[in-house]
Parts: sequence; C-alpha cells; structure tokens
Amino acid sequence: MNTFELEIWDDEAKCCTFYTVKDEGADLNETDMFFEKYENDVIYKEHIQQLLSFVLNAIGDRHGAIDELFNRYENEVAGLPSHGHLHLGELHYHFPNFPLRLYALRITNEIVILFGGGIKDGRTNQESSLHYKWVDACNYAKRIIQSLKDGSIVINKQKRILLSFDGSSDIIL
Amino acid sequence: MRSKVARRILAETPEETKIFVNLYADILVRIKQLLKENGHTQKSFAEKLDKRPSEINKWLTGNHNLTLKSIAKMQAELGEPIIHVPRRVAFSEKESIKRQFTVYKNHQFDPTVKFEEGQKTLRIPKTFQPLAHAGE
Repeated sequence: MNTFELEIWDDEAKCCTFYTVKDEGADLNETDMFFEKYENDVIYKEHIQQLLSFVLNAIGDRHGAIDELFNRYENEVAGLPSHGHLHLGELHYHFPNFPLRLYALRITNEIVILFGGGIKDGRTNQESSLHYKWVDACNYAKRIIQSLKDGSIVINKQKRILLSFDGSSDIIL
Repeated sequence: MRSKVARRILAETPEETKIFVNLYADILVRIKQLLKENGHTQKSFAEKLDKRPSEINKWLTGNHNLTLKSIAKMQAELGEPIIHVPRRVAFSEKESIKRQFTVYKNHQFDPTVKFEEGQKTLRIPKTFQPLAHAGE
C-alpha cells in the first residue's frame, strides 16, 4: 500500500469533523473521487445528493457519528486489531434499496474518516463489485488504527481534530 | 474548510432532498434511542409488536420504507411520541389584525427533579419555560 495523507474533508459541520485519505501523487482524495464519479450520473445523481446530505447535514450538523447512524461490520474486519471504540463500517443511509455505500472509520462521535465507496450490486460486500473498495478501506483503516495505537496520530478532542505526534496537522502515513 | 466537490453537490441539492434526509435520520435515531431506553432488543420488540424479528430489522436498517402505520405501531408500543407535528393557533388581537402562533407542546415537568452528571448536579432553572415558537 502506498503512502497516503490524512486530510480534512469537512470541518464546517456543527457536530463532526470529517477526514479523508489521499494517496501520494493522486489528484483527488478517495471521498471526492467517489462523490465526483456519481455527481452527474443520470441514475445516481439523486442518490449521491441524498448521501451527501446524510453525511454533512444529518450526521455532521444534527447528530454526530452516533451508533444509530453508523452500520458496523466488525466481523468482516477480522484483520484489524481490536481497539475499543474504533469502528470501521459504512455510513449507511437508511432507506430501502439505497444503492450506494460509503465506507468510514469512526474515531469518536465527533471525528470520522471517510474513504471511498461505490454501488452495492451484490447481497454482501464480498459479492459486490465494490468489494475492492472495502478492502482498500480496511487497509487504510488498519494503518490509521495502528498509528493511533502507537501515538503517531493523536486525537485533540477539544478542537475535534487529529494531529501528528509532533503537533502538526499534516498527517502522512 | 469544506471539500469543493461536496460544496458543489450540496449547492445543487434540492431543499426537499435535505429535508427528507434529515427527517428520515431523525426518525430512525428517535426510534433506536427509544428502543435502547426501554431496554428492547430487536427480538423482544418484534415479540411485543407480534412481528417477525426480520421484519423489525428491515424497518430499522432501511430495507423497508417506514410508513405512518408502522411508525404509529411503534409509537403505541414505545409510549413516547416519535414524530411531533406542531399546531397553528389563531387569535385576534384586534378585529382587524389576525395572528397565528405555531405551538410546540411540551410535557408537564417537575422542576424539582435533579439530574446527576458526574460530580455536578444539574437543576432545571426556575426561569425555564416550555418551548414555544411564535410566528405570524
């Protein structure tokens, strides 16, 4: 896995700061790539608007990343070290047959890292074409969790941000 | 800062979409929190409602559209409102001026109740008034 940067995707929401990951040398971060891919798609345009509104308005501005809005798939992340309150899952917009999935790692109720996603066209993640996005999310999450455990990244709860061990906001992993 | 892509999509998102998503999330959160407060699991709640656990799971994980009927059924069992619709009350100040207020009704409360939070004791301030929003 390449080196990637952990960068703020949104810190304007009232309850939650959203981070994303950007591979070294990439033009766009994973989350922007996901949203941009379906932004003008005739079939998925409305879905992408709903999902974004769910992330920024419902979670970001109204509720934070609470259990009730966060679907966890801990069983599927067997490779991840067990680490208390950290959960890799998807921000699952609760609506029947919603076709899109966006993966995320919840650090706290106020700090969430968004990865990429795609169309869920199979019964499970493994059977779906977005399986490789799930694997990517697991790999990003694994390195982030490890960095939190060894102190390379620290959580500043007061400011609702993540910092590098040296206090810098530039986080390269 | 906010992602430029997110800002662009959000600017194009119709207001009704934002309202719909927020309402849907609020209702789901409310139901799940009431279930937790009442000590219900999906299985025990399904038994109370005389439904299959898989059906309740569909309601709560988004695989089935919530209807007013299903919300009413849950509200009756949980004993607390899930959705509250404010009422408009009209009155005449003078014969020529008619005003309307939107009233959000609160339950009666006991102002002597104390809430313990760690070492702090929180009291309901004496000046506390039930929530009411007034508008013309």
